[in-house]
Amino acid sequence: MSMSEAAAAMLLLLGCLFYLAGTVGLLRFPDVHARLHALTKADNVGLMLVCAALALLSGSLRVAALLGLIWLLGLLAATVSAHLIARHARRHPEAHR
Amino acid sequence: MSLALDVLLALALVVLAILTVAGPGLFRAIVMFIVFGLMMALAWARLGAPDLALAEAAIGAGITGALLLGAFRALVRADPAKRRAAFRRPSRLALPVAVLATVLVAVLALALAELTPGPGTAGALARAALKDVELGNAVTGVLLLFRGYDTLLEIVVLLAAWLGAFALRGDEPPAPRTESAATVPLLDALLAAVVPLAVLVAVYLLRAGGHAAGGAFQAGAVLAAALVLLVLSGRLRPTPAPDLPQRVLLVLGVVVFGLLGLAMLIVAGQMLAMPGLWAVYLVEVAMMVSIATTLALLFAGAGGLRRAP
Repeated sequence: MSMSEAAAAMLLLLGCLFYLAGTVGLLRFPDVHARLHALTKADNVGLMLVCAALALLSGSLRVAALLGLIWLLGLLAATVSAHLIARHARRHPEAHR
Repeated sequence: MSLALDVLLALALVVLAILTVAGPGLFRAIVMFIVFGLMMALAWARLGAPDLALAEAAIGAGITGALLLGAFRALVRADPAKRRAAFRRPSRLALPVAVLATVLVAVLALALAELTPGPGTAGALARAALKDVELGNAVTGVLLLFRGYDTLLEIVVLLAAWLGAFALRGDEPPAPRTESAATVPLLDALLAAVVPLAVLVAVYLLRAGGHAAGGAFQAGAVLAAALVLLVLSGRLRPTPAPDLPQRVLLVLGVVVFGLLGLAMLIVAGQMLAMPGLWAVYLVEVAMMVSIATTLALLFAGAGGLRRAP
């Protein structure tokens, strides 16, 4: 196993750990805001680490740039949807128990 | 390692399918259906069918999921008790039927595994026909050269589905969105980034459809997703009926494909033949536009759309 493969494996494992933490937070935290916090923050870092690992494995600048774009789009979607859900939860608390 | 992934994927598909049809509630069933679509897309990708994976992700999970969620919201608005309503208990026949269906599939799969393809199969004929129009993508080739009638009728079915929804909607004005999302500043950033990108991706998928994974259905679904986003964020408002340009867009696919097919009947003596690569792209562009318009109007539950003032 070469250096870059070992580094990619480390990054993948670390990314999965972040995803696991985010999912546990989503399932265990008490209210909407805490759950959103766990989900979006942890998953954004997890996605970054997984994308970085895949970019390392591919060894191509084009694929790395595409993966970076995917991460940015994921970031944007997660940010906006978390903001919209949190806003709705604050204005209509009865709909979110 | 890859076998473990496949087994995990297959098990997840079965569990998700059960949760979709026999889960604890309607809303969860819809969410499970969307996740099922995404997993199905992964399964197609693992089977080496990127065209199907793209179509499944865009249409099966994306647009159909959005349609189901919209229908759920209308249902809850009409009858709030439905939000908590559970499914009826499955019939006693469900288990025997499921077992019989599994046995049937297993027997068919075994029979299929023993078959050896003979010479001159449909696949070989389709591949040979691809060379005549310099088409690199076998899937697009089969869709347009080999089973043109099916593809044309699929577009007709989509149009008929919209006509049916349009007729059923009656004179009721389209339901207003409960809370206008138009005032969220972050939404502008999302739209400014995502809508142009969706158009770019749709054009890329259409262009790629000639030589790699892609095609009119996937491109149309991506374009429709951008329109759905604009409807959801209040940038496009439903209207009772489509205006003239929208009517043209709705029937463009059927008209272009049909007219070209008829012209080829006169010129070449064969209905729906493709005279060349330009014809393939012409039909694909028209189909993409019609698919996107139809899906977006179906989602909006409206006759037409107009820009918000």
